[in-house]
Amino acid sequence: MDDVGAERERGRTAVIKVEGLTKEYGGTRVVDGLDFEVRPGVVTGFLGPNGAGKSTTMRLILGLDRPTAGRALVDGRPYAELDVPLRRVGALLDAHALHGGRTARGHLRWLAASNGLPERRVGEVLDQVGLADAAGRRIRGFSLGMRQRLGVAAALLGDPPVLMLDEPVNGLDPEGIRWIRALLRALAAEGRAVLVSSHLMTEMALTADHLVVIGRGRLLADAATSDVIERHGRTRIRVRAVDPDGLASLMDRSGLDARRVGDGAWEVAGAAPEELAALAAAEGVVLYEIAVQQDSLEEAFLRMTADSVEYRAVAA
Amino acid sequence: MSTATAPATAVPLRAALRAERIKLTTLRSLWVTPLVALLLTVGFGTAVAAVVGTKDDSFAADPGLGIHYGLNFGQAALVCFAVLLLGQEFGTRMIDVSLTAVPHRGRLYGAKLALGAAVALGVGLLGTAGSLAGYAAFVPDGWDGPALARSVVAGALYPVLLVVFCLGLTAVLRNLSAAMGLLLPGVFLLSPLLSGIPGVRGVVQFLPDRAGQYALRYADDPQMAYGHWTGLLVMALWAAAAAYGGLRGLRRHSA
Repeated sequence: MDDVGAERERGRTAVIKVEGLTKEYGGTRVVDGLDFEVRPGVVTGFLGPNGAGKSTTMRLILGLDRPTAGRALVDGRPYAELDVPLRRVGALLDAHALHGGRTARGHLRWLAASNGLPERRVGEVLDQVGLADAAGRRIRGFSLGMRQRLGVAAALLGDPPVLMLDEPVNGLDPEGIRWIRALLRALAAEGRAVLVSSHLMTEMALTADHLVVIGRGRLLADAATSDVIERHGRTRIRVRAVDPDGLASLMDRSGLDARRVGDGAWEVAGAAPEELAALAAAEGVVLYEIAVQQDSLEEAFLRMTADSVEYRAVAA
Repeated sequence: MSTATAPATAVPLRAALRAERIKLTTLRSLWVTPLVALLLTVGFGTAVAAVVGTKDDSFAADPGLGIHYGLNFGQAALVCFAVLLLGQEFGTRMIDVSLTAVPHRGRLYGAKLALGAAVALGVGLLGTAGSLAGYAAFVPDGWDGPALARSVVAGALYPVLLVVFCLGLTAVLRNLSAAMGLLLPGVFLLSPLLSGIPGVRGVVQFLPDRAGQYALRYADDPQMAYGHWTGLLVMALWAAAAAYGGLRGLRRHSA
């Protein structure tokens, strides 16, 4: 998946460009000098803990908020200058930002009319998201999952080459999550640029080809998903010996970055497994377990964002 | 990627207007309130003309008061309509969706103002016609005076100016509850009650609803500092100022 994504990504012009984007609210920098690009043909995961500035960044791209500094361009232009914006960008920000008194069809009808889209698109996107049966019902009776689907329908209305979805899996059941995942991948495979934000790292590992990771409004990583895991996920060797005391004394003397993880096991960072085996053999310690452990994306992410909290005075 | 849709052709203000019209017809509270305004205006006007009629000489002294009596009640529904038309978008955060669809804030706001004004003009025309017919049915004499034309024009324009004023103020406040809380008691209670107090009357007569309602009347009021037509102009200035303030607010602030 990552190789295909990387191949598709290569050589394509960015459709969203974020340059030095900064937003302050009452002296607090919510978004702090962000630079990144979103390219067609791939799913770009926009990852960060809650409050990292993901939604604000998306609002800045859509021109809903004004940046304190920097700019965000879609097709080389500010969003507000697009002629028929819904044909260029489909966005889902907040599934609750609807009037509950309208029907799903009513909501999509005014949206279609605002950009001169043909009325038949309303029925098409309702079918596409599986809401055809609920089209005539008032939105206030919708579950969060149904609202998310309606939000996706609204984003797809103009058949846009760029999609921006803020936490679309929120409130979806497992079936809905699978559906979103497949939909995003299919949209990217059609050559569209898909920017999807999430605080769920495992979800992004499954969906995104490329990751833009932010913490406290700053860019922490901007690379292929596999690269992010490789670079920020530490490799550790887990070892256990027949004689735990012997192993403990060896670990103490070795000067390695080792720590006891309980049950007589140790985890060693920054050493190769064969190196450890040789060392143990030389000291007469018999190992019965040597396992190479790769951090999951989740752990990599937690470490990155922990750093962003700890070292927030250091420029990104 | 499918290219089922035709090449992009910008249809800006007309499309924005069409979208606003659909927003209105697809939400009950938005199309019911103008109908209620019409019903209250004609209903109360006719009912009071029927009950009071020629028994009281206050209508004889100023038929304008009698003809437009129902507007005192109808305007409450008009204020609700105007505040809901824009305020609901802020209340539900749907303004975000509206602005992604129509990013040009002046265009979105202009479409709202145009639609609100058009609906209000309909209420004004039908309300005035209905009220006049109802009044004339029970008070056959005196209404066909020289001031009739002005009173009818004012009756058609008063709702328009009131709705534009309320839309503008709602855009300034960008908050449904604040706008409703300020405008409804302001127009319905505060302004009429204050105008009864001699000391503040000189100032209160310049409030938009007081000024606009003076244009509805037939008789001259020696306590008013301006003429009938000027009253409508004063109200128009309020409406224009509110509309401009709202535009500035929408342009300057984050959605």
